[in-house]
Amino acid sequence: MRMFTALVGRSLARHRALIAGLTVVLSVMQILVVLAARNLQQDRMFAQIAALIPPFVQEALGGSMVLSFGGLVAFGFFHPVVMIALAVGAIYMASEPAGEVEHGLVDLIAARPVPRAWFITRSGLVSALTTTFVVAMMLAANRAATAWLAPAGLPLPGFSRMLRLALNLLVLSWTFGAASLAFAAHARRRLLIVGSLGLAYVFLFLLHFTAGLWAPARAFDRLSPFHYYAGLPIALGMKDPRADVLILLGTSAVLTVCAYIMYARRDL
Amino acid sequence: MSAAILAESLTKYYGAVVGVEHLNLSVARGEVYGFLGPNGAGKTTTIRLLLDLVRPTRGRILVNGRDCRTSSRAVREQIGYLPSEMPLYPEMSGAAYLKFLGALQQRVDDGWLRRLLGRFDVSDVDLERRLGDLSHGMRRKFGILQALMGRAPILVLDEPTSGLDPLMIEAFAETVLELKAAGTTIFLSSHVLSEVERLCDRVGIIKRGTLARQTSIAELRAEMPRRVRVAFAGAAPAIPPSLRAGVKQAGTDYWKLEWQGALGPMLDALHGLQVADIEIDPFRLEEYVLDVYSREERAAR
Repeated sequence: MRMFTALVGRSLARHRALIAGLTVVLSVMQILVVLAARNLQQDRMFAQIAALIPPFVQEALGGSMVLSFGGLVAFGFFHPVVMIALAVGAIYMASEPAGEVEHGLVDLIAARPVPRAWFITRSGLVSALTTTFVVAMMLAANRAATAWLAPAGLPLPGFSRMLRLALNLLVLSWTFGAASLAFAAHARRRLLIVGSLGLAYVFLFLLHFTAGLWAPARAFDRLSPFHYYAGLPIALGMKDPRADVLILLGTSAVLTVCAYIMYARRDL
Repeated sequence: MSAAILAESLTKYYGAVVGVEHLNLSVARGEVYGFLGPNGAGKTTTIRLLLDLVRPTRGRILVNGRDCRTSSRAVREQIGYLPSEMPLYPEMSGAAYLKFLGALQQRVDDGWLRRLLGRFDVSDVDLERRLGDLSHGMRRKFGILQALMGRAPILVLDEPTSGLDPLMIEAFAETVLELKAAGTTIFLSSHVLSEVERLCDRVGIIKRGTLARQTSIAELRAEMPRRVRVAFAGAAPAIPPSLRAGVKQAGTDYWKLEWQGALGPMLDALHGLQVADIEIDPFRLEEYVLDVYSREERAAR
């Protein structure tokens, strides 16, 4: 146990700047989104903005109902920048096994009596725990800002809805983290993993976006993890995300098992 | 008693590239074994196979009778390892680095570590400095400390004295001799042949992935021809029959010989001649190793 704790502690220490940065930026972003929503509500701007924004852009933002106070408050959980920041954080932290091979650190730590599987367990755990922490901080910041800044009398997304939204976002980031772990179990270059999965992220996001606008692309939408994260409908209580969460969790589990198998067989 | 390290037909290919091929070697318990070879010969691959960092294509390597592949963890529990390229966490202090690696090793002999810190002149201030700010030699000291601090029964040291100053090289040699006396098996890969000659009981020379030669330093001493220059007071006499095969050059007042084996018969043959001076070059492992390298080179052509 002491060995595993040391490995996790070292990994957290190495990623502390990234974890702190993600936590601060994404939590502050929640506060800013709520602040913006309050100002728009006070100036009665939502209807005017909705008239200016083309329907496909509204669709990309999560649907027309995002342009309401309640919708915008939840927007901080499905804003593309928030989603990609969280996913890249998960991808980077889960790619640590490849970084250790790249920098020769594996000669130092894997030459000791540490079971190989623990390197995968460690990185998966650190990626999952830190994204959970970041999302928990985002949720706390969102709730605090809403309680503090929301104009009285407006309908707001309830805590359980926001929790489901946060959970779905979290599991989406875990899926990318698990993909990174599987890639890192085989690769020798960390940048290659982050770059490739970053491009894959953009491609899959565009696939999902295109599928919403163009019928022939809908056949492939199920291949995109974003198909399993319907932010605004969850925030507005129009969708139960349980099935989507289970699909994303299942995908993450399969990718993690692949990571264990490949890492056990590889040359370090 | 089984060997501490035993490689049996060990082969590792990296695609079409040969890492090691049909490597057979054995290291006895308590022995200091020098593992020599030019760059790219397969030394590091052998060490990484030993630590189960890479997997053999064929063959196997055993540590105290246990297969490094199937009993990987149990084998690694017995080994202290110093890699040739010293990987570091540059943001860590030396003390944190040793503590972290100690936690992964399970056992650290604190009293022994304190002695090593003193011997390698690592102060409390040095321990608190960031590893990224340390000189190459200082980082190497931390590498040696992390390898030795667990008092593992087998040490695998790859280029241990690279970057160390002469005082620290001496401290390292003293430590190796102390550990040897205590029964530790030491597998030492080095290009510093004087160090190998001084510390090792036996050497293995690897070339192009295969073991070109494995022998003891004592055997080498007996086997290697010694260069002898005999100067005479006046003109050189006729060469006695017993010395004819050895004399490579006969000058007006000197002979140059290459003499193999004990020196007694040669000195007996010189008895009664007007010898003014005798110079006998000391045994140098370097000459032998270079000879093996070049022989292999010629054979490859």
